[in-house]
Amino acid sequence: MQMFPEQMAKTLIVEAFQSRRLVVGMFVLVNAAMLVVGLLFPKGFSASTSILIDDRNIVQPLMQGAAVPTEVTDRGRNAREVIFGRKIMDQILEHGGWMANRPTAEQQERLIEDIRKRTTIVTIGRNIIKIEYRDDDAERVFRTTQKMAELFMQESIAAKAAESSAAFDFIDKQTQDYHDKLARTEEQLRELRSANLDARAGSEAEVTARMNDLQRRIESTSQELREAEIRGMALERQVTGEVEVNAAATREGQYRARIGELQSRLDTLRLSYHDTHPDIVQLKNQIQDLTEGIEAERGRREQTKRTGRLEADQSTLNNPIYQQLRRDLSQNQLNVEALKARIADSQQRLQQELSRGKLLHTGDARLAELTRDYQVNRDIYQDLLRRRESARVSMHLDRDRQGFTFKIQEPATLPLYPSGLRFWHFMVGGILLGLLIPVGLLYARLQIDPRIRLANSISSQHKVPIAAVVPHMWTPRQLKGLRIELAMLMLAVVATVALSAAVSVLRMTKVI
Amino acid sequence: MSKIEKALNRAREERGTLLVPVPNTGAARTPGTGTAMVAETGHPETIARMAVSESRLLSPGDLWQRGIIHHQHAGDPAVQVFRELRTKVVQQSQGRNGVILVTAVSQGSGTSFVAQNLGAAFAFDAGKTALVIDCNLKNPSMHRLLANASLPGLTDYLENPDFDIAHIIHPVGIARYRVIPAGRRGEVPAEHFTSVKMRRLVDSVRLRYRERFIILDGPPMSDIADIRILSELSDYVLIVARYGRATNTQIESCINAISDKKLLGIVFNDEPRIPRLH
Repeated sequence: MQMFPEQMAKTLIVEAFQSRRLVVGMFVLVNAAMLVVGLLFPKGFSASTSILIDDRNIVQPLMQGAAVPTEVTDRGRNAREVIFGRKIMDQILEHGGWMANRPTAEQQERLIEDIRKRTTIVTIGRNIIKIEYRDDDAERVFRTTQKMAELFMQESIAAKAAESSAAFDFIDKQTQDYHDKLARTEEQLRELRSANLDARAGSEAEVTARMNDLQRRIESTSQELREAEIRGMALERQVTGEVEVNAAATREGQYRARIGELQSRLDTLRLSYHDTHPDIVQLKNQIQDLTEGIEAERGRREQTKRTGRLEADQSTLNNPIYQQLRRDLSQNQLNVEALKARIADSQQRLQQELSRGKLLHTGDARLAELTRDYQVNRDIYQDLLRRRESARVSMHLDRDRQGFTFKIQEPATLPLYPSGLRFWHFMVGGILLGLLIPVGLLYARLQIDPRIRLANSISSQHKVPIAAVVPHMWTPRQLKGLRIELAMLMLAVVATVALSAAVSVLRMTKVI
Repeated sequence: MSKIEKALNRAREERGTLLVPVPNTGAARTPGTGTAMVAETGHPETIARMAVSESRLLSPGDLWQRGIIHHQHAGDPAVQVFRELRTKVVQQSQGRNGVILVTAVSQGSGTSFVAQNLGAAFAFDAGKTALVIDCNLKNPSMHRLLANASLPGLTDYLENPDFDIAHIIHPVGIARYRVIPAGRRGEVPAEHFTSVKMRRLVDSVRLRYRERFIILDGPPMSDIADIRILSELSDYVLIVARYGRATNTQIESCINAISDKKLLGIVFNDEPRIPRLH
């Protein structure tokens, strides 16, 4: 049923009046129930302490990147795990005096379970953990809470130090391993180098260059050789073809030139002298000798031609061109021999280079492998070295309690008054609930009950006028009954409240 | 309370409890009293006759105890409401008397209470009389007003051809107020209301005294057949819906069953009221 607030309030009052017995009954019942609950509710003390976890201290920005602070994601859960762990719980049992009666293992387990139930660990904000413990003994509450915080801090710090120390040890071991590996690779590399001196970076290129050089040299020398051979052949031809002729012509020519010379002298003398003149006679003899000499020369030449033997001839030896040619020829011969020797040498060296190149190839592959290993190992090793230093700093941070500190933000205090719900809470709660529950139920009934309680809703719903709204007519007898009833109900309410108050007072004065 | 009624009351008190014919003079004749006075002025002798037969009147306290309004309790909201309701009917009837059927959305809505008190409100007026006929044959209640509950009533009249109307109209101790109880209870066929005799009864009581307003205390709407017949016989219909009982669906079906012309409206009954106890 849709109502305006004031209509609703009015209707609620009227309905409460209508169902007055039910309302009062409920009030009395609720109060009685709360009274019982309040009496049965254990009196408890509670103490709490909060721990500030400071992981953002001054060292951190300084060590940015160098040290990795241990990250804690869910501190509350973490704390619960740590505190509720058997290790701390055993100490708590000892400290809280539960072990005085020498409980069995089973009883201990139950005691621990009880302590866990009474302990609340919550995270406030990001960095504060609040540990709250409830118990019926104020002194024990205080001691237990204090101990819990203390043990938690100890445990956390120890765990963290152990963690970073373990990390350092691991990285250190890795670094050592890589160091060994690197040393081994270096040794292998050294051995390879000493076994294979040529095996150097770039050796192959050198060999190739040398081989190319040798090849080129062989080619050019061969060319030179060919040229020299051709020249030799030409010289040969010149020597064989032209030497003799030239030599012969030269001796006969000399003779003839001498004859001509002598003839002209003779002619000159004949102009002045008679043939019998001694000079003329001498000249004639000389010419005669020369002619004979020519004849003799001719004959010897013919003979030479026939026998093929070259006779050393004074006149021939003295031929300069021949000499020159002979010299050239022999020079050429020498040259050819030298070139041939050079080619042979070059070819031998080429062969050597080839075999050396082959050797180089196998050495190179091994070298490359070792070098690669070496480089990889060296990189990792260097990286690990850096990391080890970071880990060392982290470890030192934790050891010196710089990375992640715990501070007791609010220490546990000895509770002087019982905490939690006190008896008067139940009393007041009973009165409030005793009022609210019936009103709430009435309200709920108004909300879901389709029956009409407002005359206006009829006219608005059905477009039919309301002829009259007849109020309830209280007859004198009814009024009398109502008076008695209301008095009784009032009495019940007052009695209930008075009883609650009385019990509350008795409770406060510790009578019950 | 109107000036006229005050004057009448004063006159009545002056004369004591003994009711004598209202003289055709005095305060009641104040000019400009409207339609209500027309009927009264026309038939003073009938009222006087009724007054003679009302030998013993119930005191206001007795009436109140029975849940019937009395003009002496004019301060009570219920009295005000019924008087207003009466005025509405009178305005609607335009000077003539009328037959008003009071029915209910459901059983227990307080139809009889409304019918009785509407009658009582008519009877406040010295110029009007009221006759309440108990038509709720299955669940009659008007006999409770009578000293002798076994007095003949409606069914006796309808079943016996020899019965005279005068025998079933009984005074109940309220001035100008008569009742026809339901009568002997037995097998009740619905055809009672369809009979010619029923119509004749209604017509005769209406025509006999023109200042008389007839109120039919009808059965609830669940007896839809009876209601249709009774609404045929009546001029106006009032539907009683009780606080915290009737639902919109029920009201809707009731409205649909009654002709719009006759439907005077809904009486929202028994709205809770926290009384002043001092």
